[in-house]
Amino acid sequence: MVRRLRFVTMILPILTSFAMTLGAAGVWAQETAAPPVPAAQEIITAPAPPQAPPKIDTGDTAWLLISTALVLAMTAPGLALFYGGMVRSKNALGTIMQSFIILCLISLQWVLWGYSLAFGPDKGHLIGGLEWLGLNGVGLEPNADYGATVPHQAFMIFQMMFAVITPALITGAFAERMKFSSFLVFTLLWATLIYDPLAHWVWAVGGWVRNFGALDFAGGTVVHISSGASALACAIVLRPRLGYGKEHMAPHNLPMTVLGASLLWFGWFGFNAGSAVASGALATSAFVVTNTATASAALSWMVLEWMYRGKPTVLGAASGAVAGLVAITPASGFVGPMPSIVIGLGAGVFCYLAVLWKSKCGYDDALDVVGIHGIGGIWGALATGLFASKVINPAGADGLFLGNPAQLGIQALAVLVSVVFAFVGTFVILKLVDGVMGLRVREDEERMGLDLSQHEERAYS
Amino acid sequence: MVSDPGRDNARKSANQPWLAIIGLVALVSAYACIGSVTMAQETSAMPAPAVPSVSLKVDSGDTAWVLTSSALVLAMLMPGLALFYGGLVRTKNVLATIMQSVMILSVVSVLWILAGYSLAFGPDKGGLIGGLEWVGLSGVGSEPHPVYGPTIPHQAFMLFQLMFAAIAPALITGAFAERKRFISVVLFAAIWSLVVYVPLAHWIWGGGWLAKLGALDFAGGAVIHISSGASALVCAIVLGQRRGYGIDYMAPHNLPMTLLGTGFLWFGWFGFNGGSALGANGIAVSAILATHAAAATGAIAWCGVEWAHRGKPTVLGVASGAVSGLATVTPAAGYISPLFAIAIGVVAGMACYAAIVWKGRFGYDDSLDVVGIHGVGGVIGILATGLFASKVVNPGGADGLLFGNPGLFGVQVLVVAVTTIFSMIGTFIILKLVDSMTGLRVSSEEEATGLDLSQHNERAYS
Repeated sequence: MVRRLRFVTMILPILTSFAMTLGAAGVWAQETAAPPVPAAQEIITAPAPPQAPPKIDTGDTAWLLISTALVLAMTAPGLALFYGGMVRSKNALGTIMQSFIILCLISLQWVLWGYSLAFGPDKGHLIGGLEWLGLNGVGLEPNADYGATVPHQAFMIFQMMFAVITPALITGAFAERMKFSSFLVFTLLWATLIYDPLAHWVWAVGGWVRNFGALDFAGGTVVHISSGASALACAIVLRPRLGYGKEHMAPHNLPMTVLGASLLWFGWFGFNAGSAVASGALATSAFVVTNTATASAALSWMVLEWMYRGKPTVLGAASGAVAGLVAITPASGFVGPMPSIVIGLGAGVFCYLAVLWKSKCGYDDALDVVGIHGIGGIWGALATGLFASKVINPAGADGLFLGNPAQLGIQALAVLVSVVFAFVGTFVILKLVDGVMGLRVREDEERMGLDLSQHEERAYS
Repeated sequence: MVSDPGRDNARKSANQPWLAIIGLVALVSAYACIGSVTMAQETSAMPAPAVPSVSLKVDSGDTAWVLTSSALVLAMLMPGLALFYGGLVRTKNVLATIMQSVMILSVVSVLWILAGYSLAFGPDKGGLIGGLEWVGLSGVGSEPHPVYGPTIPHQAFMLFQLMFAAIAPALITGAFAERKRFISVVLFAAIWSLVVYVPLAHWIWGGGWLAKLGALDFAGGAVIHISSGASALVCAIVLGQRRGYGIDYMAPHNLPMTLLGTGFLWFGWFGFNGGSALGANGIAVSAILATHAAAATGAIAWCGVEWAHRGKPTVLGVASGAVSGLATVTPAAGYISPLFAIAIGVVAGMACYAAIVWKGRFGYDDSLDVVGIHGVGGVIGILATGLFASKVVNPGGADGLLFGNPGLFGVQVLVVAVTTIFSMIGTFIILKLVDSMTGLRVSSEEEATGLDLSQHNERAYS
């Protein structure tokens, strides 16, 4: 009874904030109903700026919308099945549920306040303003800063899928033991307090990390390093699962994991190539290097494992592929196919070693978020500083190998900022949530499994 | 422990590929560093000569469609084919079967970029093979190529073709499922891709001698389906039957998984055939329409024949029928009108069913029916293209026999013969070569244990 009361007290403020923004949306609807006439006049009566008014390109818009759907497929079903197959059968549903509900929760958060905090008009280089709350002012006209040839809402929804997948990645660190209600509160706080500011710093016009020239094409720092560093904090704060290191905790369904990895690979084309926010040479190049790095990383992980353990495993190939995808993400719009092979091979090696060394450190990062997303993200961000080339993307910068060592330093700084901010922030949020409602399920609930204890369902009957 | 010579051999020979791969890594890294520098120099000089080709302009819609199609074709292979085959094998072999598709995708992706694309589509050398000018994608950049899609970046075409190159050897894996050593699968696929697939792709698509004769293959009936079907037949014969074939019960371990794979194949095939138009245009629409019509009809035809012949319509039958319709319509998709696609689907469903029923009489163990579906379907499709192709549908194609041009039919017959013979001989030689390097089959003890444990030390389900 007490727990239920607590739950209600946690949920109430969320509901009220939803209601408030819904009210705001009502106001906005009235506002937008009125503008069209003055807006049209403005366009006609303002011939002064020499730029042509932004015009929507059908091909670019089609590609961005398809990419959005591809990135959605990365979270649900991709990540949900990738993680779902790796846990024990008593936790399969609990794990899938986390990805699925994050998709629902952050979709709303992003529309209500997340997008405004991340991409709204800059306030002191630190955070976006509240001007775009409830998508107020984010309409179908292109925004010159965020995709001059696509409707502003297309950019917004593409970014929404990124905001969704990032907290979903973290769930692998606390798999099989976190309370569902605490997980919901943690996710909402994390998205608002960690993801939105970080996305603003790195991607938004005026963000301070972007201003000093850090390159992150599709989210190496914002998505992967941030989720990897946060995953480390989660694994440390939540402590190992019961029986960790003693009991057999083999994946319950590896074909499901491979299905998830395949959908991640498939969807990642939207993640990286869609980040060109246009359909053309840059999107093509990003697509090519994404596939190449992924293939290389799967191969290098497999070979390393074959040498070290004597057999190449399917889980290894799938993990290697994901490591390659992660590592190429920040570099995908700035490097050519040959460097992408090196980035992929490096990802397979570094991430394999990270996963191998995990056991020596004693924390229980259940599904290897730190080893794959954290380490892979860091390698990718640094490799961008090595291999980036203005030939591939004139809007980028040259890296160390093209005679610009400073870029590597800038990338290292961006890595450091993301790691420290995400780790410390997550630590504080976890302690806060722990104090209010507790983080872990009870011991008997953990033994029973999250499926029955949290959701009263069984995956297979 | 009884000493196991097979395993010792495995360890010895498994060392060689590591060395080869490590050497390759060093080479590529060196090349990448030098390449990125020289490329920077080259392209900074480029702009001036690049100007003359004014007619080549990247179109955002066409590029969007080809990129989307590339992603769709990837989904055919992984997870599509991986699950289609994975569900058909026994529980002890499911991971190994999936692993073969995943690794072939990875290996061919890298090989294609390093050398495969240049050999298949590079500047023609005597109608037989492409030159080495485009090795490492040197010169394959964001400028469109006049022949390979004048409205999309050249790399987009390369990428789309990469997915095709990856799926062809993966199709063959169904023929030797449940009994081939992992290392020999990887080696076979890598060599097959360079020695069999690449020349065929050049002959028919890269401006080689069959293309000059006027052969039509819209999306790979000969290059992909006949070649993989014919190679599958050789694999099944050379490797021999599985232990207990015809005696033990070898039912598919998870038919919903196979159906999920079929769903992905059907879904991805829209990119395979529709994307082969290399643009978002009328031919893409007509190809997708033909593809869908043939898949649906193939499923219905198979279902009907099986119901009549065996008394019950099976779910596996419907899935196989859909795939046979898809495989058969592939070469014709961009050249025919929808009614002919329905005709092709009907013939495909019935003929492929018959081929699989008769398989039993020949005694070879084509475990997952690659010959019956892709081989037979590919042959019918290439011949049907010679009958039904019409310039009204695709002015860039040719008229078939039904439209008063028997010459095309003759060329298509030649394509079938050449592709079949070349693939069979090539595959036979490669198999013998790989056999001498690593051996082809797992030991009978390993086969009994299952490939998941013996090759990968994993279990699919716990």
